[in-house]
Amino acid sequence: MAQQGAPATHDIVHRLRLRHRDPNADHKHPVNKAHYDDAPLGARIADHLAAGMGSWPFIIIQSALLLVWVAINYYGLFVKRWDVYPFILLNLLLSLQATYAGPIVLLAGNRQSQKDRITLEHAADEADKGEEHITRILIEIKKNTDLTLQILRELEAESA
Amino acid sequence: MISAPEEGQTSHESLSGEGPTDIEITTARQRLAAKHKHPVNQLFHDEATLGERVADKASAGIGSWWFLGIQSVLIVIWVFINSVEFFTHKWDLYPFILLNLMFSIQAAFTGPVLLLSGNRQAQKDRLRLEHTAEVSETAEKATVEILEEIERNTEATLKVLEHLKKRRDAKSPTGATS
Repeated sequence: MAQQGAPATHDIVHRLRLRHRDPNADHKHPVNKAHYDDAPLGARIADHLAAGMGSWPFIIIQSALLLVWVAINYYGLFVKRWDVYPFILLNLLLSLQATYAGPIVLLAGNRQSQKDRITLEHAADEADKGEEHITRILIEIKKNTDLTLQILRELEAESA
Repeated sequence: MISAPEEGQTSHESLSGEGPTDIEITTARQRLAAKHKHPVNQLFHDEATLGERVADKASAGIGSWWFLGIQSVLIVIWVFINSVEFFTHKWDLYPFILLNLMFSIQAAFTGPVLLLSGNRQAQKDRLRLEHTAEVSETAEKATVEILEEIERNTEATLKVLEHLKKRRDAKSPTGATS
């Protein structure tokens, strides 16, 4: 059992690694299938929004735009200043960004908690299935024990 | 101490009963300092890319008491210098419009970092379920094998019983069952 276990674990980790790095990989777990592969349009858009805003390109581009804005309006480079110190318009834009970031965070959080709910429901189903298996095994062992006891009685009668 | 990697293979034996198990209740801090044992943690944390590592560090940094404390101190200093007469060099007078901009900048970066960390967590959740699916497939196969093996055993036992009965009947040709 233990000798078989090691390479099997290795295979599992290998398959998982491939799927982990491939966003388009087919899912194996039913909850992942339901959550990602069968997601409705709104959920897909929510996932894309969260993935887009919560990414390094977004953060880096935003930082670059901030620096350019401040550089132009503080030092008067290239074009006429449109938002002089202390950058009230920039403040408005950043607040606008934060206003949308909040709901998008909650959207992503709601998606996740919905998934958590499906996961638990699925776990309950699996537990039922596991219990059924164990019950069947137990019944089978009891049958076996009964037979063994009958054999014992036969043998005892024989030697008596 | 935290168990060495080779003890992972002996954990099957330790389940059999004799000897103290090497699984000790450790604090969460000790557990986090140890090498990862679970494949999902190994794939997710030990094999994380640079961007993912930085993302984890960023969310750990912003979501810490140190960050909150230092930010609060800086705000108090900013407001203090710009409102108390004693200081001559003021750069952001009441109502602190530049400080407002600083808050907006902080919020504008906190949002994306929050999403970044949420995405990471969702990614881990997805990986964990895939792992569960793989493991439960193996476990189900094992359960079916156990059941089949027991059924074979029952069949064999049944044959032994029949054999014994046949032998007994042969010994007592009257066929009387006693």
